[in-house]
Amino acid sequence: MFKWEKLGKIFDPKDLQDKSWMKEFAQSPSVLIFEKHVRVYFCSRPAPTQEGQYLSYLSYIDLDRDNLLHILDICQAPILSLGKLGTFDEFGTNPISVIRAGDEVRVYYAGWTRCESVPINGAIGIAISRDGGNSFSRLGDGPVISYTVDEPFMMGSPRIRKLGDKWYLWYVAGKEWLQSGSKPEPVYKIRLASSDDGINWVKHGKDMLESRLGEHECQACADVMFRDNRYHMFFSYRNSHNYKTSEGGYRIGYASSDDMFNWVRRDEMAGMMVSESGWDSEMVNYPHVFMLDGETYMLYQGNGMGRSGIGLARLIGPQDWRSI
Amino acid sequence: MKWRKLGQIFDPTDHTLPNNCFGYAQSPQTLVMDDRVRVYFSTRERDPVGKYLSHVAYVDFDRPLQHILGISDHTVIELGKLGCFDEHGIFPVNVIRVEDSIRAYTTGWNRKVSVSADASIGLAISHDEGRTFEKYGSGPVLSASLHEPFLVGDAFVARYDGLYRMWYIYGTNWKKFSENDPPDRVYKIAHATSTDGIDWKREGRQIIADRLNADECQALPTVFYLNGSYHMYFCYRQAHGFRQQSNNAYRLGYACSQDLVNWERDDSQAGIDVAEDGWDSQMQCYPHVFHLDGRVYMLYNGNEFGRHGFGLAVLESA
Repeated sequence: MFKWEKLGKIFDPKDLQDKSWMKEFAQSPSVLIFEKHVRVYFCSRPAPTQEGQYLSYLSYIDLDRDNLLHILDICQAPILSLGKLGTFDEFGTNPISVIRAGDEVRVYYAGWTRCESVPINGAIGIAISRDGGNSFSRLGDGPVISYTVDEPFMMGSPRIRKLGDKWYLWYVAGKEWLQSGSKPEPVYKIRLASSDDGINWVKHGKDMLESRLGEHECQACADVMFRDNRYHMFFSYRNSHNYKTSEGGYRIGYASSDDMFNWVRRDEMAGMMVSESGWDSEMVNYPHVFMLDGETYMLYQGNGMGRSGIGLARLIGPQDWRSI
Repeated sequence: MKWRKLGQIFDPTDHTLPNNCFGYAQSPQTLVMDDRVRVYFSTRERDPVGKYLSHVAYVDFDRPLQHILGISDHTVIELGKLGCFDEHGIFPVNVIRVEDSIRAYTTGWNRKVSVSADASIGLAISHDEGRTFEKYGSGPVLSASLHEPFLVGDAFVARYDGLYRMWYIYGTNWKKFSENDPPDRVYKIAHATSTDGIDWKREGRQIIADRLNADECQALPTVFYLNGSYHMYFCYRQAHGFRQQSNNAYRLGYACSQDLVNWERDDSQAGIDVAEDGWDSQMQCYPHVFHLDGRVYMLYNGNEFGRHGFGLAVLESA
């Protein structure tokens, strides 16, 4: 089992003393490592409308590479605009995943649109930065991962990786909308697409993981790493209903694979539990694992699916992942 | 091209329609059978909130297209489930015979909040000679992509030399023309190819030049081969004020191609136009051209986008 040392919450916009465009939420952390600092991209929100509707924007904080608990800089304004009228990302870009590609930085994001019969739909788009990740502009007005025959709605939760010459995108696809509570709730599962250029994708058309909580389990945020000759995935999973509470809320699971396509799920190995009390006592979710200066870290969001901020944990062991 | 109008041949309000539909027979498209011509169309139900739901229905004509043999009294294609691309209507539908089955390429509609709706192209397959169709998956075969961001619809599929070709439309812009009106959409005609009719490769460009202006809306292409050339009819209109003002409303356009790649648009050659008065005097739209017993026919809608049905014309000279 992985053993993690929680280093605590590193950022919550509600804690800011100075006035900020960010009112609430720090979701879906994704890092870009620089010489002196580590930039953590995430999604944050201004105050909601009177009807309680939110927009979600791309943001970042810069952490001191020598002390990741020390914030050097905070994003002053959204670094990616929302989409035009009627486009897939008109109402939000969340979650996100960031990667370097030559001189550019790319963000893969789930766009939010609002619908009449269900609250939301999602598709995955790309935006590019040519100034080292300080500002992004979208590659096109439409998505690169959209609805297809067996993935009818709710494309989201992208995690982009380049392994060798090939690009891989782990994402989620909606299965069905459940109409049982006060508003419809989606069921979604982790899927995989591959690409030669990171733009034109071939979907593999199969759920990557078995479901543990029944067929209505929701899975998200497949954070994949190749290490010690195997593929390792940390991800989030929850019930389709009652998930805003401690009981039904997100947990962090783990799976491993020899070939990226066939995964063995072993959640009990993940080792990242909710705390007894505090900001991550009800849920832990949206893990992002990265290596830095000889250590392995996990960024993750806590209660309220990121409403209470982002935290950091350091891997105590094992360092050799062959025996996991 | 020179067409002779044979008049309005179907008025939905003269018949009992399935799915609680009260009117409209839009975008007539044919399946020629041994003993009849089946004409599919989209007709409308009003849902509990007062908005329209389009359903697919059909009417059977005898081979000379003189008499109505019957009308579908059942659900031909189910609308999509909650949250699916075709939850709020299917309009139009294009059918093609593929071996022992009939394929329907549907345009599914789903309602949105900031704009009225979005659309994608779906596939449904019939094994009972087009009486009913089963969806091929709950999602679409062609939907929004990087440079075709919304409103993908109006598929017309044909096979030439073993390759499937789809002409369709995609949205380019939602535009607010005035403070008080809801946003209007702009869409253009495009082309995709496929070896199986399921996985499509987009050509990725607008294939028919604008004639009115950059906001011209182009819709419902229909393509046929005659006398060594490929011919396309479609409809086009202004983006704004097209419901009330006849001058801005749909007209039929025409383009010609030798190679299915380059299209020469020349609406003056269309050979059919709105009438002085009557059912197709305000607009003409949703053309469908087909071959029958050695002749070439066109079905199309008239005023009010087909609220009162469709008419027929026959090609006299090309």
